[in-house]
Amino acid sequence: MPSLISPAERDYILKGIECNIRADGRQRPDYREVTLETGVVSQTSGSARVRIAGGTDVLVSVKAEIGPVLVDPETGDGADKGQIICSVECAPSASQQFEGRGADELNNELTQMMSRFLSHSGPAASSFLSTTSSSSSSSTAASTTAKTTSGAGGINLSKLCIIPGQQCWILYVDALVLDYGGNLMDAIFMGTRAAIYDTRIPKTEVQDLGDGQFEFEVLDDAEDTEEVAGREDMPLCVTLNKIGARHIVDASPLEELCTEAKLVVAVNRSGELCGLQKGHEGGIEPSLLLEMIQSGKTMGQSLIKQLDASIKKEAESDLAKRQRGEPVHKLGFFAQ
Amino acid sequence: MSRVELLTPEGLRIDGRRPAELRKITSTTSVLSQADGSAYLEHGNTKVLAAVYGPREARRRAQVLHDRAILNVEFNVAPFSTGERRRRTKNDKRLLEMASFVKQTFEPVVITSLYARSQIDIYLQIIQHDGGTLQACINAATMALIDAGIAMTEYVCACTAGWVESEAAIDLNHIEESSDTSEVTIAMLPKSGKITLMQMESRLHVDKLEEVFTLAGEGCKQIHEVIDKTIRERAEDLAKKMQ
Repeated sequence: MPSLISPAERDYILKGIECNIRADGRQRPDYREVTLETGVVSQTSGSARVRIAGGTDVLVSVKAEIGPVLVDPETGDGADKGQIICSVECAPSASQQFEGRGADELNNELTQMMSRFLSHSGPAASSFLSTTSSSSSSSTAASTTAKTTSGAGGINLSKLCIIPGQQCWILYVDALVLDYGGNLMDAIFMGTRAAIYDTRIPKTEVQDLGDGQFEFEVLDDAEDTEEVAGREDMPLCVTLNKIGARHIVDASPLEELCTEAKLVVAVNRSGELCGLQKGHEGGIEPSLLLEMIQSGKTMGQSLIKQLDASIKKEAESDLAKRQRGEPVHKLGFFAQ
Repeated sequence: MSRVELLTPEGLRIDGRRPAELRKITSTTSVLSQADGSAYLEHGNTKVLAAVYGPREARRRAQVLHDRAILNVEFNVAPFSTGERRRRTKNDKRLLEMASFVKQTFEPVVITSLYARSQIDIYLQIIQHDGGTLQACINAATMALIDAGIAMTEYVCACTAGWVESEAAIDLNHIEESSDTSEVTIAMLPKSGKITLMQMESRLHVDKLEEVFTLAGEGCKQIHEVIDKTIRERAEDLAKKMQ
């Protein structure tokens, strides 16, 4: 990640974007090529690696573990819900700036944003929206049409509960940023969606012992597993960068340095907004803001379609290979 | 705890290898865009990523040495790399110790006097853990340093060997490592035959040491061949692209 940019370079990028030709030949609303592979880390419940052609490389893993339910002491919510715990870590190998404690602030920002977008519960999110919808730059907003069972994050947390009030599945979503080439947030969310699609949770059998006592057993049959419920409704992020009077998506590191203001739009497949976050120091005019949200929304939806198609294709080819008894080779880092 | 049978009556190990057989090693270099040099290495299911930055200006002025470069090694373990999810902090004593082992291994090999008043950073990232992380890290770091074009007198190749039940065995995996086998990790300069690192954590009869030691040395030489092949292939590939 370069930290400085010369005035000449800034001017070149600015004028290029004005003419709709960016430094690498793309137009304003173009994404770079994305390489995606699922099932890359065998010790996890699900994993995916996303590489954006310019260098961004993110490894996301999902681990399902059993733990106690987390009950909100005030509202009593959460007794019948599982949990999703997100964490983002930028490896020092990703950029010069990340050495020592250099990545701590960014790690925290990305982790918080991801937790907000993914693990929101429905009713809480809607009530939050109604109180803050008047301020256009509210940090988080959830769709009012989000169903009560699945919040803005899409994932059905109730399905993750094993014994209400006692035990539940906790999904640990760990994103590891290995290489930095701009547009981290979008890559992390693409990776998370793919990793959740790859995740299989073992089935459990609950026995009622009477007197409100329950006991459960985890079936360790590799075939007898469940997919994560509500994974289709998970949001995807589109980061829009305002440079000059225009906005672009999928910014390269140099373009990110020229960015005045950044807007992260989280959207699900039906086009509902699941979250907004404005970043950087510059301001955005209300009319441009609406335009940016609109283009983020349409772009997010088409991105979800493309991503789902590629995940499905990979899963099908893996399944076909397994049925034929052939080994499934994952390229991992050998895919360049 | 019931003891796992590590060696079958036919003399095969738990993963089907013979005692003197290494796991499959696959590797590649230049995997990262920002780092000056990088390498990715797999020893069976142990997967390691190494990145080298530098020689660059030292972060802390007080550390600068006027006649040579300082080496800085950082160790990072992904929370999902082990069977049980576990987050490790940067100050984990075990990780700091591993980092200092790697640093000491490379200090005599990297020609630091060429890069006076600068710093060379080696970042090691463990993506999947299945035994032998130290050896994998050293091998990956060698490749990343070569990829970064940093002057070294020789390759450094590391290999582990241990005494499994009744025989010396090479390149122990996680199950063998965790069931109370004594394990020796050595790092060797394959051409001159010098040892730059030797580490053993548990008890081993002195009569058996030589056998284990020779086996690890043999392993280092084999690993050298594999690494050298990858490096040469990558260099040829680059040379071709330049034409």
